[in-house]
Amino acid sequence: MATNINTKISWTHLTSKVRQLIVAVLSVTFGISMYIFMNSFMNGVNGAQTDITFTTMGHIKVYNDLGGAPTILVPLVPHGDTIKNVSNARHITYIDGIRNADEVKQVLQQSRDVVAITEQVNQNVFFRNGVTKVNATLSGIDVANEVQLFNTDQYMTRGDLNELDRRSDAVVLGTGLADKLSVSMGDNVTLSTSDGVTKVLKVTGLMQTGTGSVDKSRALISINTARQLLSKNKSYATEVLANVRDYNKAKIVAAAIRPDIRYKTEAWQEGNGQLESANTLRDIIAIAVSLTILIVAGFGIYNIMNMTVNEKIREIAILKAMGFDGKDIVYIFLMQSIIIGLIGGLVGLLLGFVISAIVDNIPFKIASFDTLPISYLPADYVMAMVFGLIITFVAGYLPARKASKVDPVEILRG
Amino acid sequence: MNALSAKGINKYFHEPETFQVLKDISFEVQKGEFVAVVGKSGSGKSTLLYLLSTMDTNYEGSISINGTTVTGLSQNQLSRFRNEHIGFVFQFHYLLPEFSVLDNVMLPALKLRKKPKEEIENKARELLSLLDIRGHEMKKASKISGGQQQRVAIARALINEPAIIMGDEPTGNLDSRNTKVVFDIFCQLAKERGQTIIAVTHDDEFAANCDRIIEMVDGEIIRS
Repeated sequence: MATNINTKISWTHLTSKVRQLIVAVLSVTFGISMYIFMNSFMNGVNGAQTDITFTTMGHIKVYNDLGGAPTILVPLVPHGDTIKNVSNARHITYIDGIRNADEVKQVLQQSRDVVAITEQVNQNVFFRNGVTKVNATLSGIDVANEVQLFNTDQYMTRGDLNELDRRSDAVVLGTGLADKLSVSMGDNVTLSTSDGVTKVLKVTGLMQTGTGSVDKSRALISINTARQLLSKNKSYATEVLANVRDYNKAKIVAAAIRPDIRYKTEAWQEGNGQLESANTLRDIIAIAVSLTILIVAGFGIYNIMNMTVNEKIREIAILKAMGFDGKDIVYIFLMQSIIIGLIGGLVGLLLGFVISAIVDNIPFKIASFDTLPISYLPADYVMAMVFGLIITFVAGYLPARKASKVDPVEILRG
Repeated sequence: MNALSAKGINKYFHEPETFQVLKDISFEVQKGEFVAVVGKSGSGKSTLLYLLSTMDTNYEGSISINGTTVTGLSQNQLSRFRNEHIGFVFQFHYLLPEFSVLDNVMLPALKLRKKPKEEIENKARELLSLLDIRGHEMKKASKISGGQQQRVAIARALINEPAIIMGDEPTGNLDSRNTKVVFDIFCQLAKERGQTIIAVTHDDEFAANCDRIIEMVDGEIIRS
């Protein structure tokens, strides 16, 4: 009941100055809605960016990393008067790609974080159509698994990706590549590998991922056809790709399976530092800007509560004379800013959602975007409320403490 | 049992330089006495009242009220003690302007939490009609006249049935008619209810009609 009377005083103070209350509430509302909008937008941008990135890139890539020291033909240890020298040393046992991809896939499958695995046979080839000759990256893919990793079928503008499994001479071209070759659905193109093997393929589909460089150079065929072209064994692959449950944890998963694989195992971050740093920087900017707005809102509350305390200083003195102690006074004034924080916060959550929803519908037709990207993460809303309440608490506590330290004798003696 | 006793009170101000405001003051007040403390300004009468009120704890000597030695108690204990045992009436009413008259009167009792709300409300209405402010209960405290406000402040001082009512120039801001009203109320409280009242005043007429006058000069009691 003591808290009842204190709450009643808080509430009376608040409601007796409606305009001041609205201004204070609005400052919190604005701060919290901006926090939500900024973070939703930045997360949306990060998500969209990541989606584009992972249309062609697995979270984890296993491949045969060539290089290193050349084959040692003769040990170059000085012996007696003899000096040995091997000039122009080279690799002589040259193994390209992964000869037994099934082995690698088995290891990947054992990890519980891995959700999808596919193998690819990639190589640089030439496509010819009449006198037009275009350089391209040919990917031999395992259609079912490829779709699981990259949703490749979503990017098909014409034709059916599954056609690759049905006919060994089927090829799917990127729209840009098809333009360069001046071919369309049903046309034939001639492919020649770097080893001089040629094969005539039929265009059974066109795809557009939104990444220009990919669309201008990528061609898909069945993995078995690709193996044939290169005269490789059945389990051959140039790389094995895997997706993990949370792409941010790719590094950890890659590190865990690395010892079990003979080939180079690389998480996406290792080859694409710029993407990760861009994501992180956007997050930092979003948090910095939105926290600044919240802190400014905090100053607003601090200012208003300070004014209230100064205005009510004689009331505070009389309350203390009548037997209200320091804790009661802190409660009375802190309660006011907490109420402001709660009302402002809840309205701010709603407003933040509405602003996000509106921005989500603003047309933005660049690359694969249709509208501005927004993500709706419950965590952003929770954090906005938590930060908002912390800031209103601090901003309200300082004036409340000042109020509790008022010496009634000084005020009442006049 | 004395309602109040003060023993060997010394009080110094240290700003701007050390100055002794109260010099070895000792006196007692009986229950039901209506005491006026008079003296020129600067004689220390208000300072003495604020020491007795327990709000100012910076002094030498000891004060006991209603048998309880209040000297040395913590601030929180003193808050609780004031709430229960002391009622205040100041020169200005110091009502909470946004609250109704009734709420203002009930406030100290709601803080004390000794009685249920209904009982407190009945008591407050009773006091308001005793002080002739019936019919204004639900008005805001800022919307009634100065004399009425001071009477509401007295009702508020009485709500917890305190051992002592302390007044700091309780009529200092009132015209002569309202001064008489307040004075009569105090007399009536002292006589009919045995209420102890200590009031600082510079109104000689007011003082002259009290049971007892304590006169102060330069921090000492010259008549009591």
